[in-house]
Amino acid sequence: MIWHHPASVSSSGKWGLCRVLSCKELTVELQRQEEPHKKKDNPNHPSRIMQTPPTTTVPVLRLPRGPDGLSRGFAPDGRRAPLKPVVPEIPESQESRESQEQRARATLRERYLRSLLAMVGRQVSFTLHEGVHVTAHFGATDLDVANFYVSQLQTPIGVQAEALLRCSDIVSYTFKP
Amino acid sequence: MAMRQTPLTCSGHTRPVVDLAFSGITPYGYFLISACKDGKPMLRQGDTGDWIGTFLGHKGAVWGATLNKDATKAATAAADFTAKVWDAVSGDELMTLAHKHIVKTVDFTQDSNYLLTGGQDKLLRIYDLNKPEADPKEISGHTSGIKKALWCSEDKQILSADDKTVRLWDHATMTEVKSLNFNMSVSSMEYIPEGEILVITYGRSIAFHSAVSLDPIKSFEAPATINSASLHPEKEFLVAGGEDFKLYKYDYNSGEELESYKGHFGPIHCVRFSPDGELYASGSEDGTLRLWQTVVGKTYGLWKCVLPEEDSGDLAKPKISFPETAEEELEEIASENSDSIDSSTPEVKA
Repeated sequence: MIWHHPASVSSSGKWGLCRVLSCKELTVELQRQEEPHKKKDNPNHPSRIMQTPPTTTVPVLRLPRGPDGLSRGFAPDGRRAPLKPVVPEIPESQESRESQEQRARATLRERYLRSLLAMVGRQVSFTLHEGVHVTAHFGATDLDVANFYVSQLQTPIGVQAEALLRCSDIVSYTFKP
Repeated sequence: MAMRQTPLTCSGHTRPVVDLAFSGITPYGYFLISACKDGKPMLRQGDTGDWIGTFLGHKGAVWGATLNKDATKAATAAADFTAKVWDAVSGDELMTLAHKHIVKTVDFTQDSNYLLTGGQDKLLRIYDLNKPEADPKEISGHTSGIKKALWCSEDKQILSADDKTVRLWDHATMTEVKSLNFNMSVSSMEYIPEGEILVITYGRSIAFHSAVSLDPIKSFEAPATINSASLHPEKEFLVAGGEDFKLYKYDYNSGEELESYKGHFGPIHCVRFSPDGELYASGSEDGTLRLWQTVVGKTYGLWKCVLPEEDSGDLAKPKISFPETAEEELEEIASENSDSIDSSTPEVKA
């Protein structure tokens, strides 16, 4: 995978040229660039790295995206833009309508995933079948959102420290952000 | 195995970054605004540092910037003698509020109906954002330029700092309630609503006071002159940065210095924790913003947790797979839209 390194032309002047770095190179470069300074270590000791136990630098998925240099941003089809209704102003091809729908689906999906993220650690009330209501602290969900991992599940027969709720059993859930 | 902090550098500004602020947590995550002497404040996604847009319009250095709670509005204070209010979704300028001198600080009330400004003309101004044509209410009393002004106690009071004093004002009566005097220049102020704590930095000191009574709670001394400090939302840690280019992390309860990080190439002007406390951002004279993890090695935003080699790592997997998955899924969605990932070109102005 190739990573673009925005810091290659940062105002620090440290990077003379802009070059595409591989993921491994990027981690090594970041390691060289940033030096954690532990309080107890003598900062002037040339072999300070030899003294401390082997450490790894936290890997990153990529670097933050910088300005595109072309516009002021705030992309009209960005995350927070209101979803436009699929009404074409000019005759559009079948493909274009589909890509609009795809974009709408993507935004909705992203919103849902963010709602799940917002739920983490919060008290959530679940309405299950047969009119059963339970509350719990939401932990996580699995890839297919088939199960909810919760803790402190308050059930009619007691409190369960950790539990998995099957999403097929859940009718609805609600929480206050 | 110990993990070394990988700060994420956000480039794009061409001059020193002098102020930064986070929004509250919104359904779209949280956001970060940075004020820069190049006059072009930028909005970024808070957890990744990705640039969203630049607010264009100021004709001078921007000294202060803030976002309202839901990140729908932004406000900036500039050397062109104006404060501006912006639509933070579209980037459009909504209002220009003329002042008589350099404006240094801006703050929204919780309901975003009022904007507090302060600057070199030594006056605090309160603008009703629903009536932008109306004259603002003015509070006088400061004898030197106002560096920071904040709403506090559910917007019933105002805290303002000039060079040597911090004053508490009652909003309704517009009168001074109490003041604190300092021998050294006050460099920054942060207000923590939960617990009503005020964080003040001056010289090498990081001091904590009650925001209601201004009574001192505690204070720490740093190894160098501190320009800004921030208290973690759960009040476990505080971070501070200043003239020696380093970021310091302290345990709030014991005052013990836990970590210090090099990385910036110039003095640090501002430091703030994110609203969820998972990261903190620092802005520096070197023109960059850096994002630092509170818990080094945790999977969050762009940082990816590294699992230990042993099998016990598998048991831990369900707990961390969700955030990872969300990021990967979002990346896939983004790449379907085709134009977002490759848009970050290295042609960032140096």
